Amino acid sequence: MATNPMHQFEVYRIGPEIKIAGIDLSFTNASLFMLLSALTISLVLALGTREKKIIPGKLQLISEMFYNFIAKMISDTAGSKAKPYFPFIFCLFMFVLFCNMLGMLPYSFTVTSHIIVTLIMAIFVFIAVTVIGFLKHGFGYLKLFVPSGVPIILLPLITVIEIISYLSRPVSLSVRLFANMMAGHTMLKVFGGFVVSLGVLGGWLPLSFSVALTGLEILVAFLQAYVFAILTCIYLNDALNLQH
Amino acid sequence: MGKFEDFKTRLKIANSHSKKKLENDNENGSFMGNAFKLGSELVSAVVVGTIIGFILDSWFDTKPWLIIIFFFLGSVAGIWNVIRAANRMQKKD
Repeated sequence: MATNPMHQFEVYRIGPEIKIAGIDLSFTNASLFMLLSALTISLVLALGTREKKIIPGKLQLISEMFYNFIAKMISDTAGSKAKPYFPFIFCLFMFVLFCNMLGMLPYSFTVTSHIIVTLIMAIFVFIAVTVIGFLKHGFGYLKLFVPSGVPIILLPLITVIEIISYLSRPVSLSVRLFANMMAGHTMLKVFGGFVVSLGVLGGWLPLSFSVALTGLEILVAFLQAYVFAILTCIYLNDALNLQH
Repeated sequence: MGKFEDFKTRLKIANSHSKKKLENDNENGSFMGNAFKLGSELVSAVVVGTIIGFILDSWFDTKPWLIIIFFFLGSVAGIWNVIRAANRMQKKD
């Protein structure tokens, strides 16, 4: 009766197979849940901002809270220069948050528990930040790899270390989100399996664990979206205000 | 008019309350977020360093020296990342 805990991460095709130039572009359950989260975000924000009341209703309150939260985070971490990038970071945060939260519903699919999804987002952030840095500072952006006040003998070593730490950014960004989501969901499934296999007599302990873990997972789902967004802000800050 | 003034003071009180609460929440959130951040920062630099060493090794045919060197460089970069992140956290407080 207890199913494989990794079964929930399986990607399967919905509808007909679509192949363009040898690349499989079929609509899968992952695409479905990405679409669902995008639609949910649009719906919540559109309904929330439809009536602009002084005393906000529930949906308006939620949308304003999201807006304030991200606006405050950007101005705190990256300063006023990062204002033009607000829409991008807001989209990123909302998408990760809603993918994580939709994944918490039973029988749903967690898009962010696949490293390819998180890696693409992280690589996009990485390339965007690098391009912004070069556009703003020209080749002066390379000063990021050459910290000031270092003895000339140590300079090559430090530069290599700085380059490694710069390249490790997309890896840490993507692996963190993916690992947290996947580990959490696997754990939930494993405890769920214990409940089934221990039956009515012994199943209560894993069931209570399962309930507690669900609460923890919702916290993690929010926190990981927050961390993803705030790290994007920090990287953006490095690119905009070059100071080492 | 009296009603409006009443609403204004109530709004002010509610604002100050929610501000206090928001600050607390934020502190808590970033605290947990930072804790999650540090671990992966350390590991990812080591992984990236090792991968770079592996690639360079297969380019220059110098197995296994560059992978060893870059593993240690990656470890240094990871520790350096963590120190920098911790410094940033302290500056914020």
